[in-house]
Amino acid sequence: MKFSVTKQRTFWWTISGLAIFVSLVAMIISYSTIKAPLRPNLDFVGGTRLQLELACAEQNNCSKPLTTDEVQNILSEQGLGNSSVQIIDNYTLSIRTQTLDVEQRTKLQTALNEKIGQFDPETIQIDTVGPTVGRELFRSGLLALVLSFFGIIVYLSFRFQFDYAFFAIVALFHDVVITAGVFAILGLVANVEVDSLFLVSLLTIIGFSVNDTVVIYDRVRENFALTPDLSVSEVIDNAVNQTLGRSINTTLTALLPLFAIFLFGGTTLKFFALALIIGFAAGAYSSIFIASTLLAWWRERQQKTEIIKEM
Amino acid sequence: MQRQQWLLALIIGLVIAAIVILIQLPLQLGLDLRGGAQLTIQVKPTAEVTTIRPEDLTAVKTVIENRVNALGVSEPLVQTVGGDKVLVQLPGVTDPEQAERVLGGTAQLEFRQQKQGTEGQFTAEYTIQRQMQLELEQLRKNQSDPNNQKRIAELQESLKKSNDAILNLFDPIGLTGKNLKNAVPSPTQGTNWDVALRFDADGGNKFAELTKNLAGTGRSLGIFLDNSLISAPVVGPEFAATGITGGSAVITGNFTAETANDLAVQLRGGSLPFPVEVAENRTVGATLGQDSIRRSIYAGVSGLALVLVFMAIYYRLPGLIADISLIIYALLCLACFALVGVTMTLPGIAGFILSIGMAVDANVLIFERTREEIKAGKSLYRSVESGFYRAFSSILDGNVTTLIACAVLFWLGSGLVKGFALTLGIGVLVSMFTAITCSRTFLLLTVLNLPGLRQKPELFSPTLKG
Repeated sequence: MKFSVTKQRTFWWTISGLAIFVSLVAMIISYSTIKAPLRPNLDFVGGTRLQLELACAEQNNCSKPLTTDEVQNILSEQGLGNSSVQIIDNYTLSIRTQTLDVEQRTKLQTALNEKIGQFDPETIQIDTVGPTVGRELFRSGLLALVLSFFGIIVYLSFRFQFDYAFFAIVALFHDVVITAGVFAILGLVANVEVDSLFLVSLLTIIGFSVNDTVVIYDRVRENFALTPDLSVSEVIDNAVNQTLGRSINTTLTALLPLFAIFLFGGTTLKFFALALIIGFAAGAYSSIFIASTLLAWWRERQQKTEIIKEM
Repeated sequence: MQRQQWLLALIIGLVIAAIVILIQLPLQLGLDLRGGAQLTIQVKPTAEVTTIRPEDLTAVKTVIENRVNALGVSEPLVQTVGGDKVLVQLPGVTDPEQAERVLGGTAQLEFRQQKQGTEGQFTAEYTIQRQMQLELEQLRKNQSDPNNQKRIAELQESLKKSNDAILNLFDPIGLTGKNLKNAVPSPTQGTNWDVALRFDADGGNKFAELTKNLAGTGRSLGIFLDNSLISAPVVGPEFAATGITGGSAVITGNFTAETANDLAVQLRGGSLPFPVEVAENRTVGATLGQDSIRRSIYAGVSGLALVLVFMAIYYRLPGLIADISLIIYALLCLACFALVGVTMTLPGIAGFILSIGMAVDANVLIFERTREEIKAGKSLYRSVESGFYRAFSSILDGNVTTLIACAVLFWLGSGLVKGFALTLGIGVLVSMFTAITCSRTFLLLTVLNLPGLRQKPELFSPTLKG
């Protein structure tokens, strides 16, 4: 059985085009509502997050589940009315406020302990990031993204011809934009935030999904030499077919542990794993259906112009 | 054949070495896993001093180390980060309130004059304090011992009292770190070292006045950093008339090059005008950390299991061989983490788990190639060999791109991100070794030693019938 990717290329391009369009629209809507294309975590904008769990080992401490109202009241009393409060599993409290200094935070913790109940210090989590540090984290994250794109372009153009490298990068943009788009939508509908781990996941997606493209291009190059008589489309269709099992399987084996992290890994790693899952899946798609068909289209056009020139 | 046996011996040797390393050198856990507080302290330039030089940052770090030591936390870690930050790790601290208060704020260096009639009291108190500090230093070398920890806590408490008592024996005279221009160690005769001080004009006058009052009395000049005494020199009688003038002075004593430098750095740190502030605080309770470890182990084990099962079902015999390589991979990888001293954090663990999935990639590439060669009618042995040979360039290209991303992350990233980049990067390197060496050796040995296999290519690919 052999299937031809190049024949239905308009179909593959439409799917990707739609996905990218939706992603961009989501980011634009997000930008117009919260002034950022993706909902930033305090890693990037600064702030304080307190996660506290009621000490349920103490008697009568967990008689009733926590409510956001009682916590909001305490926050308002301390002039922190614009903070967000989340209750996790009835007895765990997550509060996100502006950057609090040690005095303000201690005051808040004391008030919570007095008015709500005893919180267990062994399960506490405090994250405070000053606004300047946040901006720095964001800047260095973006710089890392740009630099690795650049590093990969240089490496690929050194190993392949320039047009291969260019289309590999187009495929990478595709993966990154779609991952970001999904998180823009999650940010809008479920308040999911992106933190520095999200930038890390984007970089990992770049590093990993270029693999798939490289393997296919490797085969394309080999086949151009082995079967010089076949048309460009046929050569590329063959290469995609020959590497298809490998492309699907390597993506699957990378996704399996990611699903494990997503299911068992706890809150910190959950969305990190999700970003990687989306990115890797998009990466497999773009390598098989986009990078290959774009290259075929470009090389055919090149050949046509060459033939015209010769005449 | 000979070569394969050598490689097999090498692999077995490495596996044994890895197990020994893992038993001897347990992996270090980050604060997000074992619980504790991590504070990033930002050093801020002032209107007068707009740039922070590297030596300034080192001096600030010394000041912060002094403050951290006074907190009485076991195994604290203080290091400089970038050009203007100091990172403080306080394992086990879940209530960083006190630490945040103590660590913020400009360093306070003060020169004070000993009160009259306190000579006896001071000598006694100072001797006890020195003894306590020596004992504390000894105990700190072996902090994990619970008996030591208890004693350390007691000593910290008494030291604090002793510090306050000593501070009260000295009068402030308005000469502070602001007036100190520089402090450097300088060699005298033989192996002896001094610490040379230089004051600004105002400081020079105050220092002359101070030394005039103290000269020949036997009372000390107290130098305090953040209210604890770091040096208590006496002034010789020859300065009784005018004091030490000219704005320069030398502290002599039994200094070695090292102790002279320590004191000079403390003095410089105290003279810096930079305010410091806690810019980032990441605190995780110990129970929460243990919970994360448990979850990570579940995720890691189930991730590994899923990959192993998938490979065995899809690739049959080679899949099983890849599974063995993968387990060897996991062992070697963890041993490398222990050897390199990687601190395992949550993202670091994620990087490792992910690298398990990616490590299979090279095997998949090779096996797919091998299948193709079998289909093309080559013998099993030749197919395996050319499968490895022809897949190599793809493996290399793919891994180099991942390593580029890791290198950038490691170079630019902050603490947690670095951990991820390091574990993933080490993972990719180790995986190239295990895929190319382990899988290939095992596969060739099986094919060569069990001739019966050669009649059963269906073991290599379910769709092929012998």
